Amino acid sequence: MEAFLPIGILFLFAVAVCVGIYVLTNLLGPRIFQKNKLSTYECGVQNPLFETNARLPFKFRFYLIAVIFLLFDVEGAFFLPWALVYRESLQVNANLLVAMLVFSLFIILGLIYVFQNNYLNVD
Amino acid sequence: MDLTELSIVSIKTLLIYVAFIHVVPVMIWVERKGAALIQDRPGPNRVGPFGLFQPIADAVKFLFKEDPVPKEVNRLLYNLGPFLILLPSSLIIAAIPVGDRVEIFGRDVLLQVADIDVALLFFLSISSLGVYGILFGGWASNNKYSLLGAMRSSSQVISYEIPIALAAANAVMFYGTFSLRQMVLQQEGVILGFLPNWGIWFQPIGFLVLFVALFAETNRLPFDLPESEAELVGGYHTEYGSMKFATFFMAEYINLATASALLVTLFFGGWHVPWLSDSWLLLKLGSQNLVALVQVSMFVAKVSVLLCIFVWVRWTVPRFRFDQLMHLAWGNLIPLGLANIIITAILLYFFEGR
Repeated sequence: MEAFLPIGILFLFAVAVCVGIYVLTNLLGPRIFQKNKLSTYECGVQNPLFETNARLPFKFRFYLIAVIFLLFDVEGAFFLPWALVYRESLQVNANLLVAMLVFSLFIILGLIYVFQNNYLNVD
Repeated sequence: MDLTELSIVSIKTLLIYVAFIHVVPVMIWVERKGAALIQDRPGPNRVGPFGLFQPIADAVKFLFKEDPVPKEVNRLLYNLGPFLILLPSSLIIAAIPVGDRVEIFGRDVLLQVADIDVALLFFLSISSLGVYGILFGGWASNNKYSLLGAMRSSSQVISYEIPIALAAANAVMFYGTFSLRQMVLQQEGVILGFLPNWGIWFQPIGFLVLFVALFAETNRLPFDLPESEAELVGGYHTEYGSMKFATFFMAEYINLATASALLVTLFFGGWHVPWLSDSWLLLKLGSQNLVALVQVSMFVAKVSVLLCIFVWVRWTVPRFRFDQLMHLAWGNLIPLGLANIIITAILLYFFEGR
């Protein structure tokens, strides 16, 4: 754990910079009240469409991308420990190579499935 | 760990952090001058010689501006957003080895914030936390432009994380370690009698995949859809003002510096001087601290070259369309990364297996 202590120190420095930025802007910046300043930025046209809440339901496709990302990122994460020991394991036998080839076959099949169903098209 | 060691570590951490933060003003100047050079105009030339003090003037201006909070926003997340982007980009500095070691008061001090065994994993995991800041900032602003920018940006950043993981797996497979320091140590010396022993000669496709994916991960121009000025005004930071707005750009430039540093570490020999070995340098210079100075300058030089390439590409290549962007990640980079892993594995088997 001692190797991670400097990261804690760095974290403290980074938090200090963030808090410093926040405090400095609040201390140094002027405060002039104006009603229009507090309104949401828009194109300037008086249109009821723009004055509603922006948090509307969004396209389901974005959610789908997140799910697909999750699957593939987990698969990518499986590669990392395998990659760490691969070169050493070659001194013994080629089992890991075969295992990885089978595993990547499944990833490629998954990728083909994603493309066949056009899941990544957000338009 | 006693008090002397703790203070040495703290000072070292502070120095490296400050050095990386100073990339921001330098890069702002380089970017504006580079843009001016490419677009054939003078660029900033009023503040100081060659406009060198322009970034300082910008920072002062940002600090003295009012910080209005629109009334529709979610205050907590709105204030948290910029800092949640800045924090991860500051934290990943810890994994980067900027030099070998120095001797202070008879102690060996490694020129790396934390020499952890899982440095590459640390880099990947912490850098992916930046997407929360983008999402918080965009959603909390309660503005349609911001929300669209945040949606685009998050789907872009998460899509390009997979090629990064694959390229990293390739590098890990080649070097047989997660520690970035060990990777650099393996890249010392000369191969074939005339090439510096750099990782790029052994894994060129891995370099290509990582290079392109890091462009997308740092939201640089060929992939800067989240903030595409022409259509989304400013993307997820439309509603921000004052120094909070500048925080997004601080984070972007620090990310740029760490991304270049990662590329240098994995593929360009890290702190090593090309063709020269560390022991030869030590013999010639006579002092470990002088060697460290040369190494750190070499590292800074390599990172600077890559940063200039980032600027060059930004002002040369036009922006992608969103479907092209997604297709580049899922249709090109991920299959390329996978194929690269398979080919490297088979080649390693033929050269080293039995």
